[in-house]
Amino acid sequence: MQRSYRNLVLTAAAAATVLLLAGGQGSAQEATKQKQIVPPGAAPPKPLGPRGPSGPVPRTSDGKPDFSGLWNSQRNLPGQEEPAMLPWAAALTKERTANYSADDPEARCIPGGVPRAFPYHHQIVQTSKLMLVLFEGNIHTFRQIFLDRTEHPKNVGPLWYGDSIAKWEGDTLVVDSVGFNDQFWFDMAGHPHSTELHVIERYHRRDFGNLEIEVTVIDPKTYSKPWVMKREATLETEIEMTEYVCNENNSDALHLVGK
Amino acid sequence: MNRYLMILAACAIPLAAHHSFEAEYDFNKSMKITGVITKMEWMNPHAHFYVDVKGADGKVINWNMELGAIPVLLKQGWRKDSLKKGDTVTVEGYLPKDGTRAMGNARRVLLPDGRQVFGGTSANVADGK
Repeated sequence: MQRSYRNLVLTAAAAATVLLLAGGQGSAQEATKQKQIVPPGAAPPKPLGPRGPSGPVPRTSDGKPDFSGLWNSQRNLPGQEEPAMLPWAAALTKERTANYSADDPEARCIPGGVPRAFPYHHQIVQTSKLMLVLFEGNIHTFRQIFLDRTEHPKNVGPLWYGDSIAKWEGDTLVVDSVGFNDQFWFDMAGHPHSTELHVIERYHRRDFGNLEIEVTVIDPKTYSKPWVMKREATLETEIEMTEYVCNENNSDALHLVGK
Repeated sequence: MNRYLMILAACAIPLAAHHSFEAEYDFNKSMKITGVITKMEWMNPHAHFYVDVKGADGKVINWNMELGAIPVLLKQGWRKDSLKKGDTVTVEGYLPKDGTRAMGNARRVLLPDGRQVFGGTSANVADGK
């Protein structure tokens, strides 16, 4: 009770400071916003940004859609169902979210795995046998998706990006991935998984500048039913991907205290 | 200052972050400093700039201010020389939860000519800027 009262006083003092510092109508809005802050992952997805450029879907010499290009981050569409988590997973996600994701591996420059939607650009390079996903960040690395293999190796993993094979269903590329470790989080909210994780991604290039991705997470040790997420990414035509070496100066890691 | 900064104030690109804002910084501890840029660290996962701030007692404290990730800053128009050594700036932001002194997350940088630019940080994400 005493602590709550102290926090209330501090909050009021901080709000008053903001009002004094900024002055005017804008500062009142700022003080209101402070009260609306929710832990990361607990907020609904933001509305999607502008569409990518229109035009016909580029195709490879064998007539398949060509996903090559620089894409902005994948973004979950708003209004989707929450995952059906088993009790241990629900409790862990709640704890991670309540602690403001202070233990998020991504904040320590560790790969985010699949299907984490990174906030940075990713470059797709597609050949007839292999599709590479080059990540600008979180770490400057890549993922391999094999188009010329129909089975996963036996005893594969544990891997950060899993073993990914793909096949065409019409103009949709269906990517099947297994062999994951259980170290990464699906998102900043902290949704977990087990090493039995099986991810199916369906890539569809709707037109020149817009990519649709349907992600299905299958992990009976963590989720009571498959978790389906619909995402979009837009083509970036104005810039080139830059370099993001996360560990060159990750001084934040020392200050991530959470609550 | 260069022309790239001019477009920053108009940018409202929703950004995602390398780490959650509230894992490190406190929305209830806002700060505002005015001082002289001493260094820009154009590095990932966050750019930082350092500001010498003279207190009422004449003592100078060097503040370490965090910006967003470089890919995000580039997209917003920032460049490595957007803030130059010797520039006088006013910075609004938030203090860290762990009590580290003279450190903050730069939500907004006020330039000498009156323009405001946003730091491209997770603070701008969390409060919708």
